[in-house]
Amino acid sequence: MEKSSHSLRNASQTLKVAFRSLTQHKLRTGLSILGIVCGVMAVMAMIAIGEGARQKVLRQIEQLGIRNIYIRAISLTDEQRRKAGESLSSGLNLKDADRIRFGCRHVRDAACLKVLTTSPLGMAKEISPQIAAVSSTYAELLNIFVDRGRFIADQDVARGNLVCVPGSRVVESLGAEGRLGKHIRIENLMFKIVGILERFGQKREDTSVMAVRNYDEMIFIPLGTIREKRDTDELTEIVVQVRKTREVYKAEESLKRIMAVSHHHMADYQMVVPQELLRQVQKTRRMFNIVLGAIAGISLIVGGIGIMNIMLATVSERTKEIGIRRAVGATRRDIMVQFLAESLMLTFAGGVFGVMLGALTVWLISGLGRWDTAITLPAILLPLLMSALVGICFGLYPAWQAARTDPVIALGHAR
Amino acid sequence: MIKLSGIVKEYHIAGDAIPVLRGIDLSVGRGDFLSIMGPSGSGKSSLLYILGCLDRPVRGTYLLDGVDVCHASDEERSRLRANQIGFVFQTFNLIPSLSLFENVELPFLYADGDDDRPVKERVMAVIEQVGLGDRIKHRPSELSGGEMQRTAIARAAVMNPKLILADEPTGNLDSETGRRILELFHEFHAKGTTIIMVTHDRAVASHADTRITLKDGKIVSFSA
Ligand SMILES: Nc1ncnc2c1ncn2[C@@H]1O[C@H](COP(=O)(O)OP(=O)(O)OP(=O)(O)O)[C@@H](O)[C@H]1O
Ligand SMILES: [Mg+2]
Repeated sequence: MEKSSHSLRNASQTLKVAFRSLTQHKLRTGLSILGIVCGVMAVMAMIAIGEGARQKVLRQIEQLGIRNIYIRAISLTDEQRRKAGESLSSGLNLKDADRIRFGCRHVRDAACLKVLTTSPLGMAKEISPQIAAVSSTYAELLNIFVDRGRFIADQDVARGNLVCVPGSRVVESLGAEGRLGKHIRIENLMFKIVGILERFGQKREDTSVMAVRNYDEMIFIPLGTIREKRDTDELTEIVVQVRKTREVYKAEESLKRIMAVSHHHMADYQMVVPQELLRQVQKTRRMFNIVLGAIAGISLIVGGIGIMNIMLATVSERTKEIGIRRAVGATRRDIMVQFLAESLMLTFAGGVFGVMLGALTVWLISGLGRWDTAITLPAILLPLLMSALVGICFGLYPAWQAARTDPVIALGHAR
Repeated sequence: MIKLSGIVKEYHIAGDAIPVLRGIDLSVGRGDFLSIMGPSGSGKSSLLYILGCLDRPVRGTYLLDGVDVCHASDEERSRLRANQIGFVFQTFNLIPSLSLFENVELPFLYADGDDDRPVKERVMAVIEQVGLGDRIKHRPSELSGGEMQRTAIARAAVMNPKLILADEPTGNLDSETGRRILELFHEFHAKGTTIIMVTHDRAVASHADTRITLKDGKIVSFSA
């Protein structure tokens, strides 16, 4: 108890002395921590930018479905189409979906989508809704929610029911006609509105790998209800959902095999794995991290040298004080700790200023540059930790110099 | 309490050893008041630094209460300085950035807490004793020479040390102020503190129980 209160007083006194000595030379202190401030600022901004990019990708992947694999038809030229016909590939079709569903044990379910080229009649001019014929599983696999009514059901597809589920913007533009039970006219058929989609709006986020469909401006109808001219059974997209997230790549392999066989090795489709996005990002992040590390390292070393310089000056300026403290009982360790505390406080102050300026920088970047940024706890703590580390590392030598000062010389007796 | 035998101190300049103390034998009893006189350069300060465990002799032994302090660790010698020895210098040696109170409080940072009284109380008591109770917030630069020296004495006495060492404490002061400083030393001496004081002033030395004179690093006269 006695001992601990003693060391506590010692610690608070040490900090007080350090603080006072730093505030005594404000300009000098300010200039000496400039390097640290810049370094910390840069590191923080970079972490925030990197984190922002990562979170953006995570949001995108969430939208696309982390367990999903997309198989998309590639539109062929006539020449290619002829060749494809010769090699007996009939494009992406429902049979592919069935093969995938039953031929691969990793697959939980698959959904089909066919985008039609027709447009509905009686729409306001400002929007041109896309009509998509889908299987009933589409909504579930892509996390599309119905606001009112229901989505396309199995029976609708099986019986060819003329029903439709429009998105929120479509409904808005239809006005009074955009209600459950009303009809939308497509080609020459009247499709009854059985459900209305939840607004998707702000959640929309385009990815680098694929565009996310804007469901607000879409009308879903059952697959097979409209046959267009020159039509085959070609689908636009098959979405495959894998049972477990970690089986996605295994599933991709087996899907590739299945598809290669049934398409006779014709590349008239393309496979997209959203999880791949994460991999790509991680790859670019690695590069980013190296650059970050280099910049951080250089600026902190430069900053640290500034600190060491100022601490050496402080130590030699206060030689007498060191002698006095030794005379009244300070050990070499006490002196060492005192000057270490001072350089630590110096760099920590630099760290705090750096973080504050860093936050400002990040705010400017996201505001002016329209970049995605995210200030997470590591973006604050890591630079602070680094600044503290610099304080200790570069304060060590000056503190050691102070500690080994001969008190007899310091007191001016012997020189 | 103090037993010096065969103390030799040399300084090295460009490889040459310059002898400063050439074999000092001295014993000082508990509660003694010893004065050290001698011409400039005779080694008085050097001896005092050795007595104060701030410097080590090249040869010889120094027993403080039976402990061989020459061969003690930095830690142990620092503890002795913190708890048992008070230093008063000719040039006061106060820390300019600290207030009077903080200067006097300084030894508490390094000493063992063995007194139950709060630090503040003890510091104030000794500041009152040297008559500076109304100046505790002042910086050394705002004090007169006499006030600075009284602050230094308060600092030396605040831990209630067994031994106070003073190196020409009145050398930089006028005689009237110097006389008052000496009174303070007498007060501490009266309480049983051992005092060793270097001085040029015969009158000052006459206050002491024991007087020694150094010349060329040797004790040339001893009178009790
Ligand atoms: N670091 C050193 N290197 C070489 N010689 C030194 C050193 N320090 C002191 N001396 C010498 O040691 C001798 C004794 O010095 P010291 O300061 O102990 O004498 P002093 O009796 O206190 O003198 P004064 O009355 O002037 O204070 C002097 O000749 C001095 O020049
Ligand atoms: Mg001297």
